[in-house]
Amino acid sequence: MKKLAISILFVLVGVFVVDRIGGMAMWWVNQHTHDVSGPKIKHLVFDADEDVIMMGTSRCNSHYVPSIISDSIGMSVYNGGVDASNNIFAHYIVLNHLLDRHNPKVICLEVQANDFARQHGTFNSISFFAPYFGLNEHADSVFRMAGNYWKYKASHLYRYNSKAVSNIAGLAINRHAGGDNGYIPNPQPAHHPQVLRHSKTYVNIDTTKICYIKRFVNLCRQHHVKLVFMISPWFEKVDNDHYNVLKLLAKQYDIPFLDYHTQGLFLDHPDYFRDITHLWDKGARAYSSIFASDLKHILEQLPKE
Amino acid sequence: MLFNSIAFLLFFPIVCLLYFCIPASRLRMRNLFLLAASYYFYMNWKPVYALLLLTSTVVTYLAAIGIDHFEDKSKKKACLIASLVLNLAILFLFKYYNFFAENIEMVLQSSGLGIQLPEFKLLLPVGISFYTFQALGYSIDVYYGTTKVERDFPTYALFVSFFPQLVAGPIERSNNLLPQFKKEHRLDYESVMAGVRIMVWGYFMKLVLADRCSLYVDSIFNHVSMHNGGSYLLASLMFPFQLYGDFAGYSFIAIGAARVLGFQLMENFRRPYFFSVSVQDYWKRNHISLTSWFMDYVYYPMVGSSTKLWWWCTAIFITFFISGFWHGAAWTFVMSFSIFGFYLVICTLKERPQRKFEKKYGLKKKEWWLWLNRILTFLLVVVALVFFRANSLQDAVTVISGIFTHPGAPMPEYANFIAIGMALAILMVKEFAEEYQWKFSVAESPSWLVRHVYLILMICYIILFGVLGGDQFIYFQF
Repeated sequence: MKKLAISILFVLVGVFVVDRIGGMAMWWVNQHTHDVSGPKIKHLVFDADEDVIMMGTSRCNSHYVPSIISDSIGMSVYNGGVDASNNIFAHYIVLNHLLDRHNPKVICLEVQANDFARQHGTFNSISFFAPYFGLNEHADSVFRMAGNYWKYKASHLYRYNSKAVSNIAGLAINRHAGGDNGYIPNPQPAHHPQVLRHSKTYVNIDTTKICYIKRFVNLCRQHHVKLVFMISPWFEKVDNDHYNVLKLLAKQYDIPFLDYHTQGLFLDHPDYFRDITHLWDKGARAYSSIFASDLKHILEQLPKE
Repeated sequence: MLFNSIAFLLFFPIVCLLYFCIPASRLRMRNLFLLAASYYFYMNWKPVYALLLLTSTVVTYLAAIGIDHFEDKSKKKACLIASLVLNLAILFLFKYYNFFAENIEMVLQSSGLGIQLPEFKLLLPVGISFYTFQALGYSIDVYYGTTKVERDFPTYALFVSFFPQLVAGPIERSNNLLPQFKKEHRLDYESVMAGVRIMVWGYFMKLVLADRCSLYVDSIFNHVSMHNGGSYLLASLMFPFQLYGDFAGYSFIAIGAARVLGFQLMENFRRPYFFSVSVQDYWKRNHISLTSWFMDYVYYPMVGSSTKLWWWCTAIFITFFISGFWHGAAWTFVMSFSIFGFYLVICTLKERPQRKFEKKYGLKKKEWWLWLNRILTFLLVVVALVFFRANSLQDAVTVISGIFTHPGAPMPEYANFIAIGMALAILMVKEFAEEYQWKFSVAESPSWLVRHVYLILMICYIILFGVLGGDQFIYFQF
């Protein structure tokens, strides 16, 4: 019995020690990796000083070319789109970390149906931000809601679970190279999408997500950050009411809303698309020019503070 | 309750603690406690399905008593048949009825008869095929006199519902497990630590190997039309390891958990993917408890004392065809196991000529010849398992033909590939060490410190690289 107690204690203490040392090592890896998402999140949390921050998921990451937008509006721009951070909860975490240290002039949030519709695995993607657990209480509240709070509290290694391999691989392979202020171009695909599908309007609304969109908006307001919502092109048709939930919210809070999806931008250009959801570099550059021009127009119309 | 859930990680130590708090001499009390824990474990999915488990238990218990009680052979047989029919009827209703109804409707419709059979919307009870087969095995064993009848109901109920192996095996035999419930199991340091090490290895196989593979395999097999031959090939090669990691992972956790409590469950996997030199050998190493069940209760009774080769081959094919149905009510499973049946028929037919050929050229002990056979066996298994994994027969054909007709670079998931590669490397080292009986073994090292450091590092490795989302085990659906 005594022998068993010693063994159990040794294993528990050993796991605790290795977990803490491993956590420190993985933090170092996370800060030095050249993987796609790691350096971007690090930049947003610790280094961002740009006037305009683009936020969103992989569509944001690969659709907005900062140099093109910057040339047009005359402000510095950073593309802070993080792959697979696929709804408002992830964006809310990023925003809290960002505003802790830096108040950009404008935040452009690439929104999508996942930001208001119910989905399977709602909190799957917030784990990417777990390495920054403990740095911002409001960001941590999302982990609490997702049920991960105590797991991250208990294990430092677990905070790196979702990105451990790619972060370690990113020490050797620079997947961030060739990027333009956060923009990582999608390569040309072997085949462009052919079939134009029609996507139905979402009716199952997640009220918690709506609540977090409002929190996002209010946080920007508190920090005097101008907010713009936009939806870049998809290779699919949707009804005019597809984004009504978001449009009503934008109207309520007086947020400019640029919807290129419903208006069917680039549906005549399948050659711009990598797949149904993403543009490749050529499409992204064409789109960024259009977006920059519209954004410039919006910014000119906004009251000067 | 899933093995890979926080609930189980709390449940199991509490059960162990309370179990060992009951004095070993109070055997009946300990068994009653384990029985209650097992039903609690099972009722975590859907409490009402515990009634099915109980029904199966009561039916086989009474049937066995009947078989033992009657002297008259026809009465004994009637008891056995009653047990078989009732258990298989429950299995049929919950698992196969809708499948057969659908297919009968389709046949009738194609012949102009638009008859609609009633549809039952029943959730498949977890592990029904496993515990039903275990209980039926007991009935048959009592009938043939290879095991003694168990008159103590709680002990027998515990045999059917013993929680470590209740939902996905190993399918235990009464003469192995039942006597163990009558032995005093004292808290044994070596048993507990060995059990924990086996469990941790099981978690590694499930969470690090299987669930990592499944991220890729599922994305290809669930969207077959969107991928090319390269992705098909890679996903097809990965699926055997997903299946192995998933199912062997479960078995190791089950065997380890039982070992902690002092019980020895049967071996269920013996390195089937790297070392099988023929499909026959593969089935001797893979899902051993099910294969031996089908051999003992279906194949051998069918063959009887026949010496006719054609009948052996037919019996093999029929056995595997039934085994396909055991796995699930879908044509993909039936096709997959029919392919295995076909392979085994070929194996049986070529056995003699191959032996002669190997003897003539002295190939039997040549390492390159063994590896050639191992690679060929693995590729044959891959083809059969494509049907096992595919969502439809059409998808399976698309995948296999697509490998040759739609070449292209596979969908890249570099980070995942690295993680799978690392897990496979660890698996290979362990299995090579076991197969070739290398002298060093980290897990079973004579050094206390090495064994414990191994445990600590494995746990941390799982925390860092495992997929900890609480995915189902594949075999739960069977």
